[in-house]
Amino acid sequence: SVQVHKEGRTQRALEMNGHTLLPQSYDYDLIVIGGGSGGLAAAKEAAKYGKKVMVLDFVTPTPLGNSWGLGGTCVNVGCIPKKLMHQAALLGQALQDSRNFGWQFTREVRHNWMVMTESVQNYIGSLNWGYRVALREKSVTYENAYGEFVGPHTVKATNKRGVEKLYTAERFLIATGERPRYLGIPGDKEYCISSDDLFSLPYCPGKTLVVGASYVALECAGFLAGLGLDVTVMVRSILLRGFDQDMANKIGEYMEEHGVRFIREFVPIKIEQIEEGTPGILKVTAKSTNENEIIEGEYNTVLLAIGRDACTRNIGLDKVGVKINQKTGKIPVNDEEQTNVPYIYAIGDILQDKLELTPVAIQAGRLLVQRLYAGATRKCDYVNVPTTVFTPLEYGACGYSEEAAVEKFGEESIEYHSYFWPLEWTVPSRDNNKCYAKIICNIQDNERVIGFHVLGPNAGEITQGFAAAMKCGMTKEQLDNTIGIHPVCAEV
Amino acid sequence: MGWEEKQVRGYPEFVQTAQRYHGRPIFALFCGDKDAEGRSWCPDCVTAEPVVRKELHHMPEGSVFIYCLVGDRAYWKDTNNEFRKTLKLTGVPTLLKYGTPQKLVEEECFKAELVRMLFTED
Repeated sequence: SVQVHKEGRTQRALEMNGHTLLPQSYDYDLIVIGGGSGGLAAAKEAAKYGKKVMVLDFVTPTPLGNSWGLGGTCVNVGCIPKKLMHQAALLGQALQDSRNFGWQFTREVRHNWMVMTESVQNYIGSLNWGYRVALREKSVTYENAYGEFVGPHTVKATNKRGVEKLYTAERFLIATGERPRYLGIPGDKEYCISSDDLFSLPYCPGKTLVVGASYVALECAGFLAGLGLDVTVMVRSILLRGFDQDMANKIGEYMEEHGVRFIREFVPIKIEQIEEGTPGILKVTAKSTNENEIIEGEYNTVLLAIGRDACTRNIGLDKVGVKINQKTGKIPVNDEEQTNVPYIYAIGDILQDKLELTPVAIQAGRLLVQRLYAGATRKCDYVNVPTTVFTPLEYGACGYSEEAAVEKFGEESIEYHSYFWPLEWTVPSRDNNKCYAKIICNIQDNERVIGFHVLGPNAGEITQGFAAAMKCGMTKEQLDNTIGIHPVCAEV
Repeated sequence: MGWEEKQVRGYPEFVQTAQRYHGRPIFALFCGDKDAEGRSWCPDCVTAEPVVRKELHHMPEGSVFIYCLVGDRAYWKDTNNEFRKTLKLTGVPTLLKYGTPQKLVEEECFKAELVRMLFTED
């Protein structure tokens, strides 16, 4: 029988098959599987308390053979390159606006994909290197190897040459993150790319079909269009599921008015290659979700952004008894990020029912380690976490969406909203009724602000401060009593 | 074949030498000038040089190690000097793998483990 004592007892022993493993016989205090935002933050924090830590990070190449360095999704194929390319697109727009402000240039302005991609990849390379140095300086052992559990307190690490090594640790932290999902239709893995491939694509994607309606899909479609490419988005049902739908629709409208084509209520059923090349030409066959209509289209590139799956199915969790949600692959944890196996913890995108954001993973990782090794008690607060979607018209949000507020508080919540016109947009005659801000208040609780939504330039910068105010319990009255800064968008 | 060392002084000579060995792994250590007695005005460079030299045998086959004296203290302090502007150096000593974002700056160069990591990194 297996007797596992609860964490915190001074005398700890694990009895398995009659053998007793004492704590001092482990190779490491903590092994972190996954060197992304959460994993690295936790590893560095544990090293601060003098713990012996190992990080195992390995990127299984994409179907097209693409891979990357230490740092996880955010750094390599997520937030960082995405924001940089979004910025590239914004600068294109700024160049156009500048003429109205008096800048004169006669040369035509065009975009060079290779120049942008090289700069972005160079920056990412410096981040990968920075993490290597940081881990080394803090004496955290790092191995570029695929980690999987093979037995109690034991993982097997396999490097890219297939060499296997076994390591034991007192505790483990699973932070393996997710990877893009494929459609499961003919031609998807051979011909389609995902966000894992886009940011290092060694050729301009050209005429692109983006499949999906997630923020990944809309952000990518947004900056590709902003760089001057012909972009179509194929959506199965609604945009930005889980987000405030009022805002989601406004984002969609804006993108449509600015050159992005939307094909609604269709899903691809077949992808074929018509011409090889970089890029080549692909033929996409799609079927309507409510009738029998079939349509076809030709594109240089098909980008799949239909969701991400947790990397929990092939890391030997069954061998140590860690329960996962079989349907979604996510790991349920208690409010201390502990799995059902007391010495195994999990953080980041793989957690069930938690926000999939880098700062959340980092915070959870740090606090967890502080609780384990520094006697702290603070738990990660997953409430009122601010987010921003970097679509061409940026959307910042914190707290409840209108739908969620009505569901939770009924009609007792009320909403205040306003359109605004950024001063910077007036001179170049850009849209005067697209930017929008709305707050949702709980009447029963002193009109406390429980939801904040803003659509407009620099939405992320605006939202951050309001998130802090909401954490302090700001009410509508307090907001009204705060004098605005002029002329900025945030004063609305 | 092992590896070879080239000693250069000043920016143009550095660029020329790096271009000549294009295609081979190139590592470069940038230090402040040395006086007639062979002592540098940069105390950190004095500390770093022996540490780096001890790890040179870890460089991959066919590597070129460029030992580059950047100039005197006044030249280095000028924020517009070419090393700062074009190579984006922020301090001396700097040890870098040419053509990549991999580099070690100042006190990082004192650590044999980091130097070794730079030389052996994939």
